[in-house]
Amino acid sequence: MTSGKERFSMKGWNRRDFIKAGLVLGGLALSGTFLFKKLGRYITHLMPFQEKNLKYATFIGKAGSYSEDITSIILSGLKELGVRPAEIRGKRILLKPNLVETYTGTSHINTHPLVVRGAIDAFLKLGAASIIVAEGPGHCRDSLLVLEESGMGEVLHGEGIPFVDLNYAECYQAKNMTHISKLTAFSFPVLLKEVDWVVSMPKMKTHHWVGVTLSLKNLFGVMPGSFYGWPKNVLHWAGIEQCIIDINALCRPHFSIVDGIVGMEGDGPIMGTPKRTGVMVMGRNPTAVDATCVRIMGINPEKVGYLRVASIGLGPIIEPHIPQMGESLDSVRTNFSLPDHIPVYKKLKEV
Amino acid sequence: MDPFVDPCVEELKKRSLKDGGFASSVKGGYRPDSTGWAVIALDAAGVDDPMIHLARSRLVSDQQKDGRISVSPAHPEAFWPTSVVILAWQGSLAHKEPQSLALRFLMDTSGAHWPKDPKAAMAHDTSIKGWSWIENTHSWVDPTALSIQALKVTGHEKHQRSAEAVSMLLDRQLPRGGWNCGNTMVFGKELRPMPDSTGIALDALSGIVPLKRIQDSIGYLKKRIRNVRSPLSLGWGILGLGAWGERPAEASKWLMECWRLQKRYGSYDTSLIGLILLAHLAPSGLMSAMGRKDI
Repeated sequence: MTSGKERFSMKGWNRRDFIKAGLVLGGLALSGTFLFKKLGRYITHLMPFQEKNLKYATFIGKAGSYSEDITSIILSGLKELGVRPAEIRGKRILLKPNLVETYTGTSHINTHPLVVRGAIDAFLKLGAASIIVAEGPGHCRDSLLVLEESGMGEVLHGEGIPFVDLNYAECYQAKNMTHISKLTAFSFPVLLKEVDWVVSMPKMKTHHWVGVTLSLKNLFGVMPGSFYGWPKNVLHWAGIEQCIIDINALCRPHFSIVDGIVGMEGDGPIMGTPKRTGVMVMGRNPTAVDATCVRIMGINPEKVGYLRVASIGLGPIIEPHIPQMGESLDSVRTNFSLPDHIPVYKKLKEV
Repeated sequence: MDPFVDPCVEELKKRSLKDGGFASSVKGGYRPDSTGWAVIALDAAGVDDPMIHLARSRLVSDQQKDGRISVSPAHPEAFWPTSVVILAWQGSLAHKEPQSLALRFLMDTSGAHWPKDPKAAMAHDTSIKGWSWIENTHSWVDPTALSIQALKVTGHEKHQRSAEAVSMLLDRQLPRGGWNCGNTMVFGKELRPMPDSTGIALDALSGIVPLKRIQDSIGYLKKRIRNVRSPLSLGWGILGLGAWGERPAEASKWLMECWRLQKRYGSYDTSLIGLILLAHLAPSGLMSAMGRKDI
């Protein structure tokens, strides 16, 4: 039998973890160009933020409901963030929404299908050659059930867009470069290498183990259940927050589009309550996007354990380092409920 | 000609590989779990073809020294196909030995467990042993239920591991009925049931526990399955209800609707085709499709 101390994941960060993460990520970040060349495109972000701060801009678009013109909002965001048609033309785009489970009246759990449709239309307008929607749900093994009942299946069928269940994807192995978790390697779907652009499309939600789930945590969905289990228990045992860092150091989405039109507060990521926030947040750097999102949610990014570690080498979380486009933060900020009986939320609320 | 069985069988046969075994999909490569489900389903459909023997033998080549069959050689820790393969070897005298070795592995293996902490966020009893998807992780409902089936079909339903796994499934049953992947209450809130996990758990528990212990789960599944047409949930839903004599009268019609959904989603994974074929062929749960006869 495993001892209580070593068994879980949800233990968060201790001082030793921070020091280790700081040494690894900080070392990589400071060595800049040499490592950039050596380690390739997956860690382009491991460069001092001030050198490329335009890449860390985030865009906030207002959308009161899913019936608004979401395509136009996404196109505005892409334009403001410097994504020109030339960058998208002829490219194969993979959209990675957050699909968890469905139940009557729980549309606040999954990335809304109309946001995915908006992204499909936007990228096609910019000349994308093809679009794939892919996800490996961690909680409900029946991905097709989630597609059917969330309305995502109907949208994808209507648009002629294929869906790939990443839970059974053919994989390649990548050595763990950051070693924040104990895992020595990760298995990623080969599909990620076969597309030109990966777009992380999470839902804006609280998360009862790690505080929030946004662009960075959304990458758990690319890790196949056939190798990581349902739920993705291998990652839980190795440390959820630690794995968020290790995975994002290896797999780098090109863009994030966060569905915060109706998010989830309280006991997220499944049992929380809907939070009408009326925003979509976009950006090229997932850490910066997540930092902007948590500010909108009324949370200090420095209080989110994995964001604080991510800020050492994956992207900025300090407000002056994240150029803000679109709506101002103050005009959309709305505090998400963080019930006291969930320990991680207490930390988020510490002054 | 059966309008459901024949297309399923034809589709499965198309995925048979020259070297033995079955591909996971039309364009996919070999996978042991796909092979296991294809063998079980084709056998249940009465298909008499050398491809079945060849597939069973290919599975032997996947077996590791300790008896496990993993989803990929690169991931020996992902041993969850072992129980499916035990079912696929059932009834084949030529594969008795590897089946016994795999059974020994199952009996010697469990998920990670620790004493229940009354103050823990998760309400389930973490000390009760079942089986995990992946080595050194916690036990979950689906792999535990399938392992119980493997023990049952080979006549080990009274083994201590089987009895403990049954307790684990009952402990993970949601207070209002049904199962999900294996979390009941977290931070004081009851999680929602899923039709696939409920179906597989009910199928495993049939003939072992009294009806009153799972009555609410049957109630949940009977209601829920009416609107389900995805193959994993529908397949296990029908098998689970059938195992308790509650097979829905419309089961065949729903399965046909499920088959037609491939127009929207593309061809199903081999495992899923095998599963819905079994749901069609087995009126009283998975065991009713599994011959105990030796060939």
